[in-house]
Amino acid sequence: MTINTLAKGGWHRDQMACFRKMEKVIVAMQDPDMGMKMRNQRLLITVIPHAMTGRDVINWLMQKYNMCEEEALHLGGMLVRYGYIYPLKEPRSLVLRADESPYRFQTPYFWTSTRWPATELDYAIYLAKKNIRKQGELMEYEKERYSVLHKRINHTWDFVVMQAREQLRASKQRRKADRIVLECQEQAYWLINRPPVSLTLSTFRIYFIAHFVCVCVCVCTFCLCLQIEFCRRALGRNRVKSSICLEGFVKYSEQYLSHDPIMQGCLPSNPWISDDTAHWTMNTEVVPIPSRLRVERWSFSFMELLNDAMGRREFMTYLEKEFSAENLCFWQACEDIRHGENSRIVEKVEEVYKNFLAPGAARWVNIDSKTMDKTLKGIQHPHRFVMDDAQMHIYFLMKKDSFPRYLKSDLYKNMLAKAIVPQEVKKSVFPFMRRQRHSSPSPAQAVAQASEEEGRA
Amino acid sequence: MGKEECKTMLDALNKVTACYRHLVIALGSTSDSQNLREELKRTRKKAQELAVANRTKLTSLLKDKTISKEDRAEYERLWVLFSSSMDLLEVDMKRSLEIGQEFPLKVPTRHLIQTGMTGSTTTVAARAMSVQNMKYEADSNVDTADLRDLRSEITQVSQMMEEMEMKVQVAPWAVEAKQEAGAELKSNMSVGNSSVGVISICEEEPKEEDGAGGRDTGFATICAVAGFVIIVFVAVVLGYLVINMS
Repeated sequence: MTINTLAKGGWHRDQMACFRKMEKVIVAMQDPDMGMKMRNQRLLITVIPHAMTGRDVINWLMQKYNMCEEEALHLGGMLVRYGYIYPLKEPRSLVLRADESPYRFQTPYFWTSTRWPATELDYAIYLAKKNIRKQGELMEYEKERYSVLHKRINHTWDFVVMQAREQLRASKQRRKADRIVLECQEQAYWLINRPPVSLTLSTFRIYFIAHFVCVCVCVCTFCLCLQIEFCRRALGRNRVKSSICLEGFVKYSEQYLSHDPIMQGCLPSNPWISDDTAHWTMNTEVVPIPSRLRVERWSFSFMELLNDAMGRREFMTYLEKEFSAENLCFWQACEDIRHGENSRIVEKVEEVYKNFLAPGAARWVNIDSKTMDKTLKGIQHPHRFVMDDAQMHIYFLMKKDSFPRYLKSDLYKNMLAKAIVPQEVKKSVFPFMRRQRHSSPSPAQAVAQASEEEGRA
Repeated sequence: MGKEECKTMLDALNKVTACYRHLVIALGSTSDSQNLREELKRTRKKAQELAVANRTKLTSLLKDKTISKEDRAEYERLWVLFSSSMDLLEVDMKRSLEIGQEFPLKVPTRHLIQTGMTGSTTTVAARAMSVQNMKYEADSNVDTADLRDLRSEITQVSQMMEEMEMKVQVAPWAVEAKQEAGAELKSNMSVGNSSVGVISICEEEPKEEDGAGGRDTGFATICAVAGFVIIVFVAVVLGYLVINMS
């Protein structure tokens, strides 16, 4: 059994509308009174009726559908291209010539059909028949396709051979004229459904392939060079073990757990649920008394402190006491350059140089000589990131030196003591006005409960 | 022996399938006639009888568990032949229904396609039925009753094929054909020397086209070599730049 689902499925498919229209035109041409004028085709001994010239076809189309010659040529060309009419003189050239070249109608079985597409089995049988008739003298492309089909549908090859022989025997029963017509019909059908490859390609094929291969090789070498570079750079990068990464991640999560509004709930209440905006007003940028969670967060990392406006201000106050406020001012100025407007970069860099880097400047910052040289050289051609190295140096200086001392200082401790912990809004008496701290049972609570139970058990 | 019987029956089915296809090709053309429709009807009835007989025989042979491995492989091969034949037959039957409906014969204005085939198909049908002469009935219901019968027969065939697929577990792709490529040329029948080849005008002449390409090859060589050199040069320059980039 061939995997012939196409044939089975064709029962439910429909013929495409364009083909139905062409079929109507062809049937209209058969009208004995208003149809096409038929001539006889004279071969050496036989005479075959029902031939027509290209000129006849075009004239008929022009007359019947009232169209100009160009349109008739186009429509006639479509009829030939889709196999409703086939040329008798040059079967491979599927065009309609508006002259005396003969054409003939194709039998309905071989019309182009979307319901019944040409199958490989049929093509194989046709090639086998042609092979027998021509004693093995098939065309190049036909030979190739023959061997491909022989491999592909090898399991039914016996059937192909048997059927080819029988079909030839059956056609031998007809008279000569009909046999010629049958052959021409079938050939025309397969020229349309399995068109031959282009003829000129055989001469250019070698050069084309060689070209293609060369281009591929060159592109490949180029890509490989790039890849080698990429790999070399990747080797030099730092790598961190995933166990260490994950430890860091776990530590981070533990540290921030109590600060997460989803896990821990927010005080006084979640504004999205209770419509009470107290939480937001209490945590704005500048507030007389910050919340405790906020102040605690400053101690997590230096970046947290600097990112919080209040924290930065507090830190600045502390540094002024320590007489090292210029560091923070310098860092802020560099941040301004990095994130500021393009047009003002040059003037900002000038200012920074004047205030912080020039020898004898008012607020001179302490940078090591190598960085200083590099920065001074870069200032000749200022751009957005020219202060990066110096800024990094000062940042690490503050982080290692001033920041730990700040955390231990009285200033910070007072701040922490002053910080408020807002009261949780209690559940209202009225059942309809429930204000909940947690929108839904928090997973942290479930975990906490489970660990409590384990502790008890 | 069961195998020989099977083979003869399959050959007969094959012959009938080929003849049926030949007849369906003539449908809708000027060689279409009431006789043709009747021939189609008789041929497909014969095909169905053969199909049923083949199926029963092969199913009983394949269901037999006591056969040897070579025998089983041979029966599977015959099974694949049988089902391919049935596939072709089913498609041809469906197409004959479609074309028969499109080109009814008993209408006052019938437009059959003038394909140039005017001879009768009696001899083909006679070959299919394995008789000397065909005898026709003066049946007038060629457009209605015949097509109705055809529809029911198509459903019968489809059902039979579905049953076949269910009952017999044969993997068609596992079957190896006995004939190798080009086996049809080695036959000893005279089909190869058909006299049609002498006078047929619609044969193509491939030898003419090869000569025209010769003159252009010289120019093409120069172009190809030049292009090749340019591409290699560009690739080398690019590679050099890339390596020096770091």
